[in-house]
Amino acid sequence: MSQVDAHEGSGFVARRFVLAEFATPEALLAGTHKVREAGYKKLDTHTPMPIHGLEAALGLGRPKIPLIVLCGAIAGACIAYSMIYFCNVIDFPINVGGRPLHGPPANIPITFELAILLAGGSSFFGFFTLAKLPQPYHPVFESEDFARCAVDAYFLSVELPPEGEADKVFAEVQTAGALSAELVTESER
Amino acid sequence: MAAPNLSRDPLEPLPLLEGKHTDKTINDSLLAHVWRGAGKGWWALFACALSALSLLVIAISWTLYKGIGVWGNNIPVGWAFGIINFVWWIGIGHAGTLISAILLLFQQKWRTSINRFAEAMTLFAVICALLFPLLHTGRPWFAAYWLMPYPSVQRIWPQFKSPLTWDVFAVSTYFTISLLFWYLGLVPDLAALRDSSKSKTKRMIYGLFAMGWRGSGRHWAEYKWAYLLLAGLSTPLVLSVHTIVSFDFAVSVLPGWHTTIFPPYFVAGAVFSGFAMVLTWMLPAREFLGLKHVVTLKHLDNMAKVLLVTGMMVTYGYVMEHFVAWYSGNPYEYSEFFRVRQHGPMAPIYWLMMFCNCIVPQLFWSRRARTNILVLWFASILINVGMWCERFTIVITSLHRGFIPSTWKSYSPTWVDVSLFIGTIGLFSTLFLLFLKFVPAVAVTEIKELRHELDHEPTAETAGVTH
Amino acid sequence: MQLLGVSTAVATIGAACRKPNEKIIPFVRRPEELTPGNALHFATGYALEGYTSGLLVESHEGHPTKVEGNPAHPETLGATTVAEQALILGLYDDDRAKQLRRGGTPIAWPTFLSEVKARSASLAGNGGAGLRFLTGPTASPLLADLRRRILERFPRAKFVSYSPVAADGAIEGTKLAFGRPLMPRHHLGAASVILSLDADFLNDGPEQTRLSREYSARREPSRDMNRLYVVEPAITVTGAMADHRLRLRGGDVSAFAAGLCAMLSGRGLSALGPVGSLGHGAGLWDSKWLVALAADLEKNRGRSLVIAGRRQPAVVHALAAALNSALGNVGATVEYGVPITTDAIAGVEPLRALVEEIAGGAVDTLVVTAENPAYGAPADFKFEQLLKRVPNVIYHSLYEDETAQSCNYLVPAAHPLESWGDGRATDGVVSIVQPLVAPLWGGKTEAEVLSAFVGDGEVGTHALLRKYWSSMSKLPGNLAGSFDGVWERWLADGIVPDTGASSEQGLTINAQALAQAAAPLLARQAGQTGQAGQGALEIAFAPDPKIFDGRFANNAWLQELPHPIIKLTWDNVAMLSQATADRLGIETGDILEVSSRDRKLEAPAMIVPGHADDALTLPLGYGRSHTGHVGLAVGFNAGELRASEAPWFDRGATVTNTGRHHRLAITQDHWTMSPDGRDIPPPAVEAPLAEVLNSGSMFYEELEARRGPLPEVFKPVDYASQQYKWGMAIDLNKCTGCNACVIACQSENNIPVVGKDNVWRGREMQWIRIDRYFSGSIDDPQMINQPLGCVQCETAPCEYVCPVNATVHSDEGLNEMVYNRCIGTRYCSNNCPYKVRRFNFLDYTGDISPARELGMNPDVTVRSRGVMEKCTYCVQRIERKRIATRIEGRTIADGELETACQQGCPTQAITFGSLNDATAKVTKLHSDPRRYDLLHELGTRPRTAYLARVRNPNPDLVKVD
Repeated sequence: MSQVDAHEGSGFVARRFVLAEFATPEALLAGTHKVREAGYKKLDTHTPMPIHGLEAALGLGRPKIPLIVLCGAIAGACIAYSMIYFCNVIDFPINVGGRPLHGPPANIPITFELAILLAGGSSFFGFFTLAKLPQPYHPVFESEDFARCAVDAYFLSVELPPEGEADKVFAEVQTAGALSAELVTESER
Repeated sequence: MAAPNLSRDPLEPLPLLEGKHTDKTINDSLLAHVWRGAGKGWWALFACALSALSLLVIAISWTLYKGIGVWGNNIPVGWAFGIINFVWWIGIGHAGTLISAILLLFQQKWRTSINRFAEAMTLFAVICALLFPLLHTGRPWFAAYWLMPYPSVQRIWPQFKSPLTWDVFAVSTYFTISLLFWYLGLVPDLAALRDSSKSKTKRMIYGLFAMGWRGSGRHWAEYKWAYLLLAGLSTPLVLSVHTIVSFDFAVSVLPGWHTTIFPPYFVAGAVFSGFAMVLTWMLPAREFLGLKHVVTLKHLDNMAKVLLVTGMMVTYGYVMEHFVAWYSGNPYEYSEFFRVRQHGPMAPIYWLMMFCNCIVPQLFWSRRARTNILVLWFASILINVGMWCERFTIVITSLHRGFIPSTWKSYSPTWVDVSLFIGTIGLFSTLFLLFLKFVPAVAVTEIKELRHELDHEPTAETAGVTH
Repeated sequence: MQLLGVSTAVATIGAACRKPNEKIIPFVRRPEELTPGNALHFATGYALEGYTSGLLVESHEGHPTKVEGNPAHPETLGATTVAEQALILGLYDDDRAKQLRRGGTPIAWPTFLSEVKARSASLAGNGGAGLRFLTGPTASPLLADLRRRILERFPRAKFVSYSPVAADGAIEGTKLAFGRPLMPRHHLGAASVILSLDADFLNDGPEQTRLSREYSARREPSRDMNRLYVVEPAITVTGAMADHRLRLRGGDVSAFAAGLCAMLSGRGLSALGPVGSLGHGAGLWDSKWLVALAADLEKNRGRSLVIAGRRQPAVVHALAAALNSALGNVGATVEYGVPITTDAIAGVEPLRALVEEIAGGAVDTLVVTAENPAYGAPADFKFEQLLKRVPNVIYHSLYEDETAQSCNYLVPAAHPLESWGDGRATDGVVSIVQPLVAPLWGGKTEAEVLSAFVGDGEVGTHALLRKYWSSMSKLPGNLAGSFDGVWERWLADGIVPDTGASSEQGLTINAQALAQAAAPLLARQAGQTGQAGQGALEIAFAPDPKIFDGRFANNAWLQELPHPIIKLTWDNVAMLSQATADRLGIETGDILEVSSRDRKLEAPAMIVPGHADDALTLPLGYGRSHTGHVGLAVGFNAGELRASEAPWFDRGATVTNTGRHHRLAITQDHWTMSPDGRDIPPPAVEAPLAEVLNSGSMFYEELEARRGPLPEVFKPVDYASQQYKWGMAIDLNKCTGCNACVIACQSENNIPVVGKDNVWRGREMQWIRIDRYFSGSIDDPQMINQPLGCVQCETAPCEYVCPVNATVHSDEGLNEMVYNRCIGTRYCSNNCPYKVRRFNFLDYTGDISPARELGMNPDVTVRSRGVMEKCTYCVQRIERKRIATRIEGRTIADGELETACQQGCPTQAITFGSLNDATAKVTKLHSDPRRYDLLHELGTRPRTAYLARVRNPNPDLVKVD
């Protein structure tokens, strides 16, 4: 049926996922390992809370956020200090209370605050960019059970290649210890 | 209600999580108060809050219409209630950030039950505080943007050596970061709300705020770092903010302001008042929202200990101030601390401050007091009062007795001053009640996480003992 | 809508506010005609109590904006009093009477003239038997001439002069002493020892400006420094300057004078003869004090001076005259001349006669040009009711005041700055008074009213004036050229040359006669003031140092001006001593019921250091029931207790404490320099002459610590390369605290008034304030003044805390306020150790009348609500002068640029100039050994330096401790 989809309409290819539910985080963790060893790379898990070790199980690399935040901090500090210097020394130098135009100690607070602001901002927005959120629709939402994902259900989702056979995956997740599994297909809208 | 707990073996540590739970039970119990319709009590409180809020609106309008002269301020007392309230509220805000950020960094498990609560408090307190820097100026309509460094037709820039300019950056940064931090922590819970909501509209609304969160493992991987880093950033931030607020005074030349110990002791004072405010709200909340199983006596006990410690820090600050005033041999300083504050017209407020901030916390040497709801609650209120008095003493008592005796004047607040203060409490309460109505007061996700950790630790009970 | 109203009003006023039609001559000849934007200065004069001082008024596009003294005038010498400074506000006072009316119906001037013509025709029938004129004391030659012409036409008419504060005692006293009425003129230049018998000569009376200058000129610390003894009941500006002050009830001063005569003749001052044997009330004063004083006076024969005050009875003035002549002071420090006012006597007695005539129904038409007699006359005359019994009362007044209520004609008076006229100063010098503007609201001058009775009503003052002066057989100053040329010269210079009065020569005291005449007077005085009964409470009336006899009650500047001693605004109080207050169980602020001679009033009490015991001082001029909205119901009317038999001092009053409290708006709540016993370097430094003359003394050690360089964190800005480096020096030794600088600054810098409530809150706006500190015991304190405006710190604490750069430093070291930029955080004020910054807490300038706007100084921004403001060393004057000198291609010379406070100061206590000019006076003063910086230890490097005050105590009286 996938071929049919491929030839129809606007070249839209519906992504398909096998969504397997596990009883406990530990089961999910073990299952993910198995499925991955079986050669499936396009894996993802859906859990109500972060679960220790999943990164490894999913084979994710080092997180990118820390670097982004570091850049934000450095940028903030530089912008702040150079702004102060430009305003009070270069653009509009004026005798204020007989103080030196360039007073490094007095520049520390703002430099620090701006560093924090940009670092924090890049952490927050950096995350949402990396996570491609907000994202109102995702195929996994097609599943009825998925509604419990944020409450108390532990899912493993396996994205099928366009010609991939769902049944093989079902079998795989069964052996990996899933309670149940279903196929969700992206709907065109 | 403290009684049964005291009946347990005192050597056995108090649990962090009362009873056995599954994700489901946690989820439902902690979201229950959101789904439950607003009760009579809530509406009653909300009505009070709103009326106080309207008082704020009136006071602000009158101030903007007539000018700052409707306040009691004068020369030499150029700053009064406005700045007192500003510092007071900012201080209160700090506990929130501290609880969630610092305790997170120190991996204090007991944090999880109260951090959401505390963070919300931070936000609302900072909102209240933010009113004043603008409102207390003579021309707010200019202050609103002239403090920002933008290339203006006046060709002139803000004056970056002024602590007030530092304030602008510090406070706005603080508000922004707190908001982001709070929201980031809230996203998974919003998803939980979305997924457990019965009606379609609620599902839509919460879904909107959840931004399509689907608990993806790939997201969690980055999320944990983003959250941790925000916490990491908030910690120095919260210290810097009150340090900078204290610079407003410490950088000046005025006896009673020109004090090097201000930064640390302002921060300590902030945490002190902040924790007190958390308790003031937490105790009723846990009572009426059925959160006793997550906000256990263990938490109250710990918070009381924090109050004791920070109270001692603040006391130390007072002692050092007085010592330096005497030791420096500066006649102005000496008179400020040993004549004006102790015997001057404003002395009663000074002594009230001393009682509330130095004597009251000593209660918490006793575990009985630390775990007695009523004692805790009244103490927390007294501490809030004491900290307000501290700011009064610093701002007004110092100002009204300057260097040159001919400039000495008295100060008395007007109805507008009082209304503004009460009004901000109204604003705070309003926001807080709305928060309790629409958002889980406890970080559901983190509790679930906590539960799993506790389940998998050999001695779940001892897990909560701070290490 | 309101805006529209204002603008139209401005339009009308603007139209009304034009140059007079007649030609008036600018003091500064170039530019000949008015250049828009450039101010012109016109010489004119202002008559108070009949004596005309020479003024110089600055005018912008035909609006007078600032009053200065005329440097060419011998009495003002370029300085001014507070009253003169405040004339500007009075001129533009929207509350002034604007409508000429008969009863309630407005009438036109021609109508008025025709009605007067008709009436005077009928009066002329019986020689004007029923015609009476009640005028204020005046020395105007023109008015004297008009009087002559009127009396020619109405031989049976009478003129009466009345002033509630007339100094009759001086005239009657000289009559006693010399046998004919004379008027003393004092010269402090030669006086080494001065004794004031209840005379506030530095702040009251027609000579005050000149005497202040002469007095301070002799205060330079040297062996030649003068010494001032003051005997008075309540501490005055003069008393505060005294080296030795004896607090004595006003009624006891006569006995003291007699005692002094006795003491001196006892020491062989034979000239006093029998006068020396007049009795004296023993035990009234510290006799040690009297001995020392007598010795000092005797030691300084011919170089001493005894001055008696306006409140003292004839006998005291007579004794003063006797002392002066016996001590050989006549001709040296005091001269006596023929009184120059048309009526030498202008007090109670002449008025009593008129009152009796009115009561007897003899008066048909009464023309009142005197200052509000219904308010000022003694209470027992019940003058207000009497007026109602006169069929025709024509009242010429600036305001719809108490008197106006019972008159059937009210003629709005032209303000002095709107009027043509002439007048004479105490030394007789004539000034031609020229108007700065045509009357804003069509007021008329006194001359116009009087001339109506000789059919010259429509001629106008200017024509009358020229006619009078040109008709003189010999013009004074026998100048060449046409009268027009001479006239213009007079107007331009502000004085008419060679018109000074000569003094009587070869005066001798008829001691015998004086002794005989004085004895009963002394006895009466003693009886009346109940010398025996020490307990008997004395109430003393006093002209107010701010609003005088009430004529300035509607002047907001003066109402809000802090009282020179008690720093009270918007009120008057019953002053009394601590001891008396304790005895009567009274505290400051309590409302007292004071009753005397079955009349009573309620007055708030204030305990005043150095007040005589068993005495109550009640300042006049307040409690007005009818005047503008400013002066209405401010304070209490002391006049309600004033009896014609005892217009100044009265005994036997009783006081009860009502228990109610009155809120007083005081600008300085604390008496001393360390109210809470703090051990700080005194803000205002003073030292006895002996220490100042000894270069190694403690005094200099202490001063060294309060000046000179301090350790610096960063390199201070170098101003040496600048063309100017503005600085100021204030000599505390010269400042009398007269407040002239305060009002001068207020006028120059468009400083708003804030009203009683705001002053009470601590929001007064005057840029320069005069701090007053008492030292010593509260019974017998010493007082010191310290004028304090912005000291222009080089490392200004106010500047670095401003978040928006609204207060910054100029290249020449001025601490500048950028009003447009200020957002009003008030941080600068909090961080100002001197607290000299002022804040517009409310919209103080929003509701000023369109008329008032015309009086604003166009060179100075009018600050809006929410903006900080402060002294800037009159930067607008600096810039004007800078422009002028640049055009002339030169630099500003020392002394040609004066700040407003400096220019107004009668004692030249304030010096301003460039510290980069080594020869400048200010530079010299900055290196004066007496120089010190206020709060020097803070390292603010103030540009205003202070010179310590020097006291010159009599070595015999210095307490050994």
